[in-house]
Parts: sequence; structure tokens; C-alpha cells
Amino acid sequence: PADTRDAAQARVRSAPAPVTDVARLCVCDLLVAQCDTNCCCDPDCSAEDFSLFTTCSVPVVIGDSQLCSQKAAVYSLDVEANPPERIFKLIDQVNPSIFCIHATNYKQALYLKSPEIPTAKNFDQLLEKFGGATFSAEPDSWNLDTDAQNPPEANETSRYEYGAPVQTEDAFLRLPSPVVSSWCSDANPAGFLVNQATKCIRSVSVEKCDSIQALSMLFYINSSILASVFQVNITVQSVVVQSLNGMRTLLSSSEVLRLPMVLDELCINAVLGVNYHITHTDTGEIIEAAAAFVLGAISREALSIEQSFEISFTQENTQPVPLSGNPGYVVGLPVRAGFQPQGYPFPAAFPFAPLALSSNKHSQLTILHSTSTQDCLAAQGARAPVLFGYNMISGCKLRITAAMKCQPLAQTLLDVLKGQSFPEYVASFGNSQAQDVLDWVPITQLHISEQMIPHSLQSSCQIPVSLGIEVKWTKYGSLVNPQARIVNVTATITSTTLKQLPSGRERIIPITSSVVFTDISSPAEPSYKAWPTINIKLPFDFFYPFV
Amino acid sequence: NNSSQLSSLPLHILLHVNGVYYIFYFSATLAMIIYKSQVFSYPDDFLAPDLAVLFLMAILEVPRLYLGFKGNLTEAEAPLGLSLGLTVGSVLLCVYLLLWQTYVLWADVLLNAVLLSAYGLESGLKVMAIAAFVS
Repeated sequence: PADTRDAAQARVRSAPAPVTDVARLCVCDLLVAQCDTNCCCDPDCSAEDFSLFTTCSVPVVIGDSQLCSQKAAVYSLDVEANPPERIFKLIDQVNPSIFCIHATNYKQALYLKSPEIPTAKNFDQLLEKFGGATFSAEPDSWNLDTDAQNPPEANETSRYEYGAPVQTEDAFLRLPSPVVSSWCSDANPAGFLVNQATKCIRSVSVEKCDSIQALSMLFYINSSILASVFQVNITVQSVVVQSLNGMRTLLSSSEVLRLPMVLDELCINAVLGVNYHITHTDTGEIIEAAAAFVLGAISREALSIEQSFEISFTQENTQPVPLSGNPGYVVGLPVRAGFQPQGYPFPAAFPFAPLALSSNKHSQLTILHSTSTQDCLAAQGARAPVLFGYNMISGCKLRITAAMKCQPLAQTLLDVLKGQSFPEYVASFGNSQAQDVLDWVPITQLHISEQMIPHSLQSSCQIPVSLGIEVKWTKYGSLVNPQARIVNVTATITSTTLKQLPSGRERIIPITSSVVFTDISSPAEPSYKAWPTINIKLPFDFFYPFV
Repeated sequence: NNSSQLSSLPLHILLHVNGVYYIFYFSATLAMIIYKSQVFSYPDDFLAPDLAVLFLMAILEVPRLYLGFKGNLTEAEAPLGLSLGLTVGSVLLCVYLLLWQTYVLWADVLLNAVLLSAYGLESGLKVMAIAAFVS
């Protein structure tokens, strides 16, 4: 009785047998016990339904077309007859290819595998095989290794590549970040050369604050980073203590490790932010690691705190200069500009002398920034950086009274339009170095004066009213990954004549400045590698004894 | 004087043709097995026996042809008889490739049928040659 019951259960639980007879298969039969429109193979349709069809949506039902000869069910509508009727033919379809399958001794070749029905006996095995997030198509040949935390040998971690997780003794250098929701997840590894800044929320309670690992400094500097032959310890660069009202104090001695502890219903020395600075060589070996902490206090009512984390990578012996692209400009990053220092001769005369172009942030290419007051003279100094690829226009209004003198006004307006230090050179690539003179494009300055009256007097007043910067760029490099390169920068100042106003009157003149980026790339020409040539030389006595 | 020469010329020609045809057959069958393994689902448990049979047949072919030539030219029945025995083995392997391979393509059927007919004709000629040498 137990056996028959098991057998009956097994029969009930097995999947229904697959249908392989082409005469009975119908893919367009979707509605149960109803006729699907234009479905000629639907068994629920009667002859009257067929007379209403216009075409057959499924004309042929066939098995694997690679077989040499197989049955095919052909459905068609005979529209000549009145009423139209469906024609069903079962024909033998022949594959004329010489590589058609004549016979096969491997049953699973032509059919999809029926899935195993889980029973009490094979459930554990099926769960192990298919229960994870992924499973391989050939489970017998691969072994699923779910433990991905194995750190490889030391000689593999010597050189890091961009994006590779930075490995430490136990696992990876952790940069807690929000995953899915805003709660901190500690499983986010820091990628090499990937500068990241994350903010996330961690749930805390003041009573258990010294037992929560993520609040203590040790958690972040505990393990040392694996790099080439030795391990790099993470040093504490600085500690800033933030009080409850937000005031931050830099501690003078940063060697002392401050651990969180409960004091007067507050939890002090809790980590609110960590800023990692990793120094590396140009070959990808990490040589130094430092962490700057922000410690704070948590009050009793707080159930969660926000922690912020940042990591930045610097190459040794260099000053970190933010690049605007590598090598082509990236849309949205500022256009880098610079000056030629005084005393250096014109670059063309000395092509090999390295020109030190100062490219600090304050001498960037900037444009007038429109303010809410729209008064040119009041808003001097508000500038916005020119971002590559973003056409900008800004302006202000200038109120001219009779008392204003021409020359100082013109000079003021020139300052308003161009800024305090208008650069002379613009970098042609996003990563142009200051010492490569040829990578910098000089800014061409043009002056256009609008003559309102053709026969104006010589002593009439010309004031600049608009500055138009046109940046011409081209696509450079390979066809699949073109890089943006600035070719020409022209700054055009348009001046207009200022007529002398009668006293007491005033005029308002609009002043505009704009930046336009124009793509002047010529259409790309694909070029192909040369055909390989085969050099065959016969030895000179090859045709002995005939020659 | 033709009557004193017992070596069979048709057998010699057929052995030559068989040798050349076998080289073509081996490379074509190997290429088709590689093609099948890429296009169809061909697990290793099924691929191994097919390849083993093909290479075994190639290994058997060399002594079989050599003994056939030698026996025919030296008019000795022992090598010819041995060659006949090896031919039986080759016929069985050829039948396997024709009927019991994992995927039998139409080109497989053609190649194996031609080879089987060549083997059959050869066996007939060898039997006649042995009869001529013995008597």
C-alpha cells in the first residue's frame, strides 16, 4: 500500500508529457475554449469562424528545421471559395542542405529538457543547485563557488588596475554606502582610482554605542592594505571633533585613538565621517594610506546618524589637478586655461623651452554670471566657469547717466565682461600638461565696433557691450571612441558708440556675454590595415638541373 | 606472360583510391564533428566515443592498406588475409559512424556509404586474390 501510494503521488506530480505532434500544436491558441481571431490552427474555431478570417497568423507549424525530412502542418485560407474556408495540409518538409540532421541518437538534442519536479527526496539537491542568485548552464562541469571573499596571493595584489577593489588583510577596503535604501551597507569595496563620496544613514542607540563597530575609529583603520611585497597601514591623518551644535574643532594630536564611549547620556567619539587619501605610484602600487576622521556626539533621542565617506587617490610627487577629461574633454567639465608667465618669449621662437603655464582655479576661463539684481556695476565679481559643451549666455543691464565718463566706463565694462584675469591660452585636451606648449591654444581676441553713424567723430566714445567666446572643437582619435579637442578659441568684443546724453537723462544698455561651442570635425574616414603580403623567395638553385 | 602474374591489378588500383579517399573522408568527418559540436548541443560524454571511433579507424587504416599492398605485390596470402581481418574491423567502425553516431548528417551518410562500398569491393577482390595465390 505504501508503494502504490508513492507511485500514485509520483504519477500525479510529474509534468504533463510534451506535445510534439505538429498537427496538434498551435501557438496562437491563447484563449481557452474560445476561437482566437486569425488563428487557423485553433481547434475551438468552427467553419463559420474560419469564413470570417482575413489571413492566417501562423501559416506553418514545424519542428526543428535542421532535420532532413520532417512533418509540417500548413494552414492557409482559401479566399476564392465562397465562404472562405481553411485548408489544412500535413506535408513532409525536406531540408535540401547537405548538413541536415539525418538521424540522431541523442534524445535531448531536439527537445527542451523537462524540468525536474521537486519531491521530498530531491528538494535539497535542487535547492543547492538552483537556489542561489545565479546558476550555470552546465552544473556538472563547474563548481559553484559562492565564497567570493577569498583574497588572492600577495603577488597578484601588487599592481591594481582602475576599478579593482582595494584589498586588505581580511577582505576589502570598505566604503560604506547606501544600497537600495539609504541605510549603510558595509560591503561596498573601494575601487582603485575611483574617487567616491557617499553618505548613508546608520541606526544607532546610545546605550550600545561602544559595541557598534561602525562607530569606532578602529573599524576603519584596523586592517592594512595589501600592496606589492609589504602591507600598508592606514594612518590617522587628522581628527576633527564636531560638537552637538555643529561646530568643528581640529585636534592637534592625531595619534591618540579615540573610541566611542557613553558620557552623560551622550555617546562621544562616534565616527561621523571618514576621508581616505591613498597615494600610489604611476605603476599602480599603493604606497601610503591615510584617513581623516570627523568624530561627533550622539544624543539619547537620536535613533540614526548620517555618516559620510570619501576616498581620493593621488599619484606620488604630484599635486592633484582636476582633469577635464582624459584625453578629450568631457561635456560638463570646466575648460582649462592658463597664462604665459612674464618674461618668456613667444613660444614659436623657442619650441623646446617648457612654458610654465599657471593653471590654477582662479584663472580659469569664466563668463559673467547673471545675478538677480541685473545691475552690471553692482555685481562685479560674480563669474561662472565655462563648462565644455555647454553654450551659455548671460548678461546684465548698465544704467548710464550723463555724468559718467567714457574711458573709465569702458574699462569697467571690459572688466565686467572679461573678468579680472582673462586667460591667454586654453588647453586643447582635457589632460594637457603645462609643460607641453603645443597642447595649448591661444585665445584670439577680436574687436568689432558697431558704427551706428557712419560719419562719427573721431573722439566718439566706444564702450564694449558684448563678449562672444566661440570655441571650435573637433573629434579626434579613433572612430569608435572620439575625443573632443579644442582647436580654436575666439573672443570677440563688440563695442558700440555711446552718444553723449543730455544732463539729467539716463539710458539702460543691455550687456551680454556668451559662449558657443561649435563642432568642426570633418567626417570620419575609416582606414583599414594593409593586406598582409606573403614574401616567398625560392632558392636560386630551385630549378636545378633544368636551369 | 600474363598468366604467370597472380597479383591483382584492380585490387592495387582500388587500394590506391581507397587511401586517397580515406584522407578526404577523415578530414571531412573530423571537420563535421567540430561543426556539430559548435552548432548543436554535444556533451562531452557523447563527443568522446565518436572521436575515439574516428581516430581508431584512422589508426587501423594504415596497416590495413600497407598489408594489402604488400600481400598483393608479393603474392603472399598471409598479409592479405590479415588485411582482410582488419577490413572487417574497419567495416564495423564505419557502420557505427553511419548508424550510431550522436548526430548523423546527410553528408555523413554519403561519405560512409561510399566508404562501405569501397570496403566491400576490396574484400571481394582480396578473397579472389587469395584464392588465386593459394591455388
